Amino acid sequence: MSSSSHRWIRLIEPACTSCMICARECPSWCISIDSHTEPVEGLPPGARNRTRNVLDRFAIDWSLCMYCGICVAECPYDALEWAGDLTEPGAGRESLVEEMVQPRSDPGLGVQ
Amino acid sequence: MTEALPEEWLAAAEALRADGFEYFDWLGCVDEIGRRDCFRIVLVIRNLGQGAEPMMLSCLLPRDHPQIDSVQGVFAGAAWHEREAAELFGVDFVGGDHRRLLLSPGFEGTPLRKDEVLAARTGMSWPGAKEPGESEIAPNRRRMVPPGVPDPALWGNRDPSEPSADPAAVAESAVGGRVRRRRI
Repeated sequence: MSSSSHRWIRLIEPACTSCMICARECPSWCISIDSHTEPVEGLPPGARNRTRNVLDRFAIDWSLCMYCGICVAECPYDALEWAGDLTEPGAGRESLVEEMVQPRSDPGLGVQ
Repeated sequence: MTEALPEEWLAAAEALRADGFEYFDWLGCVDEIGRRDCFRIVLVIRNLGQGAEPMMLSCLLPRDHPQIDSVQGVFAGAAWHEREAAELFGVDFVGGDHRRLLLSPGFEGTPLRKDEVLAARTGMSWPGAKEPGESEIAPNRRRMVPPGVPDPALWGNRDPSEPSADPAAVAESAVGGRVRRRRI
């Protein structure tokens, strides 16, 4: 599959920093992101407290997406890529909203 | 770039053509709102016998009355470019072809004017309004706004009895990015 084919857009979740750039650049307003901040643990003693963003939800509404690829091009962390599959057809408009982050069963997992 | 007054436009184009600039390259329009209350029409033509250096002829038109003579009688290829500028910027090319070129027949508006508002989006929630680390849109001092949707205080939520917003302020507000707190 050629890397330039505009078919399905995949999120590479570990690379995503929830920076919101893709959602802001999207001309179709089809990317929804929820995230929260958690303190970084294991810092050396005396270090200033730091937080990092944790991705809770990344959804693309395929009924709005026009497959322009601006999100793939703009992501500074290469967390979006073209994939060879076609997007799944849906029975209704709601089913075209694809959730790309699996809900975490244990909320503590993301802190590791 | 050579400047011409609107009333000199047609004669200037004819004089350049007589001077050997016989090859029409393109004609375009620029909305100069924010710098001056004008549209700029730019005509680019070439003299193919004399290297490739193009000649640019430009003309400023007031935004409240953007009217200029058509040059399609001088350069037939300019007709399409004039039709495009006419429908996208609302410029009146006197003596030109007034048929629609790109927009659908029922479309109202002038989409490339910088004070044009994406009205259907003003009532929608923009996913990019959230900051990194947010799940809800929290009020903060410098909020991100999408391009094409001006500040509701300036456009949309205004008191109908007040005069309509200044087009330059609407254009400035609709560029997107971080909004500055507007002093009202």
